[in-house]
Amino acid sequence: MAPVTALLETKAISKRFGGLEAVSGVDLRLDRGEVRALIGPNGAGKTTLVSLISGRLNPTSGRVLFAGRDVTSLRAWDRVGLGIVYTFQITSIYRGFSVYDNVALAAQRRRLRKLSDWIALDRQAVARDVEAALATVGLWALRDQPARALAYGHQRLLEVAMALALRPELLILDEPSQGLAAAEIDGLCGLVRDIARAATVLVIEHNMAVVLELAGRVTVMDQGRIIAEGTPREIEAHAEVQKAYLGR
Amino acid sequence: MTLGLHLGVLALLAGLQLVVPPFHHGMLARIMVLAAYAAGYNLLLGYAGLMSLGHAMFFSAGMYGTGLAIHYLGVGVATGFLLGVVAGLAVAAAVGLITLRTAGPAFLIVTMMLAQAFYLATLYFNEITGGDQGFILSGLHLDLGGRRLALADPAVKYNVALAVFAACLLLNLWLVRSPIGRILLALRENEERTRLLGYNTSRYKLLAVTVSGVISAVAGSAYTLLFSYVGSTFAGILYSIYPLLWALLGGAGTTLGPLVGTLVMTYLVDVTSGLTTAYLIVVGATLVATILWVPAGIVGGIRARWAPWLP
Repeated sequence: MAPVTALLETKAISKRFGGLEAVSGVDLRLDRGEVRALIGPNGAGKTTLVSLISGRLNPTSGRVLFAGRDVTSLRAWDRVGLGIVYTFQITSIYRGFSVYDNVALAAQRRRLRKLSDWIALDRQAVARDVEAALATVGLWALRDQPARALAYGHQRLLEVAMALALRPELLILDEPSQGLAAAEIDGLCGLVRDIARAATVLVIEHNMAVVLELAGRVTVMDQGRIIAEGTPREIEAHAEVQKAYLGR
Repeated sequence: MTLGLHLGVLALLAGLQLVVPPFHHGMLARIMVLAAYAAGYNLLLGYAGLMSLGHAMFFSAGMYGTGLAIHYLGVGVATGFLLGVVAGLAVAAAVGLITLRTAGPAFLIVTMMLAQAFYLATLYFNEITGGDQGFILSGLHLDLGGRRLALADPAVKYNVALAVFAACLLLNLWLVRSPIGRILLALRENEERTRLLGYNTSRYKLLAVTVSGVISAVAGSAYTLLFSYVGSTFAGILYSIYPLLWALLGGAGTTLGPLVGTLVMTYLVDVTSGLTTAYLIVVGATLVATILWVPAGIVGGIRARWAPWLP
C-alpha cells in the first residue's frame, strides 16, 4: 500500500503518436511537498509526460492519480481546478493584455464559483491575489505595462506569476530557465524554492546546475521511459544517464 | 468615465431627434437597430475572435420568429418579440454546438453554409414565409401603461429603436467589462493557454455564439416590428456580410465601433447611391482604405492613438 503522502502517480501511462511511442508505460510518483526534476535528452518524452499529467494530452493507455483520485478522464481545465498547474516551455502569455490582466485572468478563475460571482466578481479579492502573485515574482511595478513590452526574462516570470495566482498544489515548470541570463537564473531558483514551501514542484530542466540546486530527487527519461531516479548526486554518477546524454 | 461616455452617446442619440429633419428619423432608427445587430456580431468577432459569415441566420430567426407569430398566430407585439428572441436563442445554441467543432476559416465556412441552408429554407417554404416577396405586418402597436403607441409613428419608431440599441450597447459594455469579457478576449488571444488556466473554452465559445446570436435576433425582431416587414432578403448572405463590414469599419473589439461603422457605412451608401449607380465602388474603396490605414477600424484607431481606456 502506498503511503498517504503521494500527491501524484502515473500508472503505466503511455502516449502514442502514430508509429511513435513518445511515453511508454511510465510509473511516476511524486510525494507531497517535494521538488522533482525531470531530465533527459531532447525527444525523451518529458513534455509529453507532463502534458499527460496536466491534461493537455490524453493518454493512449494508463492512468493518472492526483491526491488519491483518478483524474485520467478529467479535462485540462478541471485538473487546474484541482490544483495541477502547468507553465509553458515556450512563453505563452497574453501579449495584448497588461501584466495585471494576465495575472487577473488566472486569479479570477478561483473566484468564479457561484452564479453570483459571474454577475458581481469580488474584484478586491482578485486584486489582492494579483498583487501577491506579482509581488512574489517581482513584477508588481510593471503591472500596467502591456505584456508584449516585457523583456524575455520578465515574460517568463509573468508566466510563473499566472501559475501562482491559480494557487497550485502541483506546479509543473517546463524548462523555466531556458533563455535566461545567469543572474536571472539565480532569481528563478530562489523563487522556485519559495514556491516549493506551499506546493509540490515538478520541473523539466536542462541546466544541471539548476537541477542540483533545486531538486530533492531527479527522474531521468530517455526514449519515452524512466531510466533512472534518485538524488541529484546519485544521478550524476549514474552510468546509463551518462550514456543517454553522451550518446545524443 | 467609460459608462459616462456610453450614456453620453445614448443621450446624444436621444437629443438628435429634436434637431435633425424628419427624413433622418427613419434612417437613424434603422441605423440604431442595425447597429445593435453589428454589436451582437462584434461580440463574437471582436472579443471572442470568431469570424462568422452566418449571422443573417440569427437576425432573420428573430425576424421570422416575431413576424410569423404575429402574422399567423395573431399575438401582440411583446409576445411576438419574445418569440423572436427565443427563436434566435434556439438557432444560435444549435448552430454553436455544430459549428464550434471547427475553428478559423472552417468556422467561417460552416456558419456560411448553415446560413445559406436557412436562407434557402425560407425560399422553399415560401407559402408560409412569403419567400423573397415577404409579407407586410400592419397595425403594430405597443401598449405602454394604457397608452397605445403605433410603431409606424416616426417618433415611436425612433425611440423604440434607441431603447433596443441602448439595451444591446449596455449589455455589451457590461459583458466585456465582466470576468467573462476578459475570458473572451483571452480566447481570442490564446485559446490553448486559456484552457490551461482552467477555463472550459468550449463552454465560453458556445456562450459567445449564443449571446451574439440572441442580440442579433433581438435586432432582427425589432427590425420587423419597426419596419413592418418580413422577407428572405434579410436571411441572405449580404446580411451576414454587412455586420462584418460595419464592425470592421467602426472597430472590431470596441463597444462603440459597431454604431460608428453602421452610421458611416449607411450614410455613405445613402449619399453615394444618390450620385451614382456604382456606389458599391465607393463602399469598397472605403473598406480598402480602412484596412490599409486604420486596420483597427475608426474607434479602434482612436483607442490605439489617444484613448487606450476605451472598452
